[in-house]
Amino acid sequence: MKRVLFLILALLLLSAASHAEDMVLEPVPDRSPAARALLFGIGRTNQLDTYLSPMEYTGLQASFMLQSERMTRLAKHHISFQSTLHGAFSSTDNPAGTANCLGGRLAYDAAWHYHWSPLPKLDVKGGASVGADLGFLYNNRNSNNPAQGRLSADISLSAGAGYSFRLWRLPLRADYQADMPLVGLMFSPEFGESYYEISQQGVGHDIICAYPGNALSLRQLLTLDFCLRRITLRIGYLCDIRQSNARSLKYHDISHSFMFGFVRHFQLMKRTH
Amino acid sequence: MQWFSSVKGGVKAFLLIFFLVLMGACQSGESEYDTSPQGNLDALWTLIDEHYCFLTYKEKELGFKWADIHSKYSAKLNPEMTRVQLFEVLCQMLSELKDGHVNISTSLDLGRNWTWKEDYPENLDTELRQQQYLGTDYHIGSGLKYTILPDNIAYVVYESFTDAIGDGNLSDMLSYLQLCNGMILDIRGNGGGELTNAERLSQRFTNEKVLVGYLCHKTGTGHDDFSEPMAEYVEPSSSIRWQKPVVLLVNRSCYSAANIFVRNMKEMPRVTVMGDQTGGGSGMPFSSELPIGWSIRFSASPSFDARMQQIEFGIEPDVPSSLDTALAAEGKDSMIEDARRLLSGF
Repeated sequence: MKRVLFLILALLLLSAASHAEDMVLEPVPDRSPAARALLFGIGRTNQLDTYLSPMEYTGLQASFMLQSERMTRLAKHHISFQSTLHGAFSSTDNPAGTANCLGGRLAYDAAWHYHWSPLPKLDVKGGASVGADLGFLYNNRNSNNPAQGRLSADISLSAGAGYSFRLWRLPLRADYQADMPLVGLMFSPEFGESYYEISQQGVGHDIICAYPGNALSLRQLLTLDFCLRRITLRIGYLCDIRQSNARSLKYHDISHSFMFGFVRHFQLMKRTH
Repeated sequence: MQWFSSVKGGVKAFLLIFFLVLMGACQSGESEYDTSPQGNLDALWTLIDEHYCFLTYKEKELGFKWADIHSKYSAKLNPEMTRVQLFEVLCQMLSELKDGHVNISTSLDLGRNWTWKEDYPENLDTELRQQQYLGTDYHIGSGLKYTILPDNIAYVVYESFTDAIGDGNLSDMLSYLQLCNGMILDIRGNGGGELTNAERLSQRFTNEKVLVGYLCHKTGTGHDDFSEPMAEYVEPSSSIRWQKPVVLLVNRSCYSAANIFVRNMKEMPRVTVMGDQTGGGSGMPFSSELPIGWSIRFSASPSFDARMQQIEFGIEPDVPSSLDTALAAEGKDSMIEDARRLLSGF
């Protein structure tokens, strides 16, 4: 049986190879080049969750960001689609250094931006995104309330600008983007609600509406792209501010990270004879 | 050009909004506590004032005003005092609450108030129980120890609800004891543990869904900001259940989850609670901390009985009984003997 499968596979490959000699690769019409960036970050974070402690915890945060962006055919190729997966892991201590918190976050955003160029080499964009955020904060010392879960989904305003320029003949591109959630849903237990009650009544009981009045958050990313031989490298600064003040519980996670990574540009191709 | 001006205006407005957000984002901790003795006392006082769930009840029962406690203990502070001295003052302040779920955990010591058991007779001789009743030929099913007494009474000891019990343990135990005429379930000295163990054990003593009490939690910082009480039920186990009389032996050391178990069992048919009043501890504890780094535990969610009555200071037995030291010297646990007599009369 294995031999038969191997034979079929070999014939298919030979057939493809014989056809390939007559084919050429061409860019797919209406599919603009796409850019995909993978960034890693290291920075400091400041966390407060009054469900766990009234103290602010500070420490290191490691993160990654996988971002891809391409222009779409919408609005005469003026609208881009951007996909961002952002993950972070933190280890923080209380001011006295007697307790530690471990935190983790995974967020996904899909954004659509309208682009225009008010100046040569300046690209301004504005739009909206939808996203979801999942995370936790675990305090290694608390007994009956050792951890807090975070779950939210929101619609955000998103805007940014990019500028291409040269410095000492080196082509560079600076980008800035800010995202601010406008409205959504988030999980928040009540002030003194125990896990036992949450489990008995269900998590749905603790899903509330989030808006800037009770969950004012902002993510800002400033990056600089430059080429080193044939590789496009990216360095940047990420300021991620997540906050909520709901049901008499305050939460914030304010991180400042140095980001570094690389960018790859893709063009979707098709075979033609 | 006009269009470009409007774009520029939009960008400026956007940047202004972000600037305002950044300003708003500069929120620091819950409050600006300092690490001085006064700062730590303020932090502890505020923590209890906002989060502790029995303040109104205890102010009434114990006759203090929490607002007055702050000045009373602030007067005992001085900026040069040592950590040990500060620890003592803060422990004294918390002992006003007379709550076993309120603790300060430090590397120095565990701050506690155990008057709920220390001020009363223990009514338990573990050596006597072990030697004269359990003996050496008894069964161990996870946290449960059990045997059959000579008068065909099942004798079960459960020393801590932190010791997990599984459905398999319970089914095997009840199968082994099924021919007995009754059961003595001895939880004297059981200081609590996991509520799920208490619930799992309760489920073996009812054939119907039983309302056993209510639970609520604080919804805000006010002393009386509570959620609507949530009814708590015990559902009958789908496995083997006990159908004969039970005497539940309790003492002042029955606390927290053990207190909740007694509350549940009081609502069960064929169950008689015998012994001393339980220790109480009906507030589900939460943890927090002080600027100095010490961990604080406090009662956050109060539980009530099926009639919405407080059980923070314990539950009265149906039949009072105490340990007779003279009989103990003769090798008899008078409470177990009382339970045997009661069961033989059914």
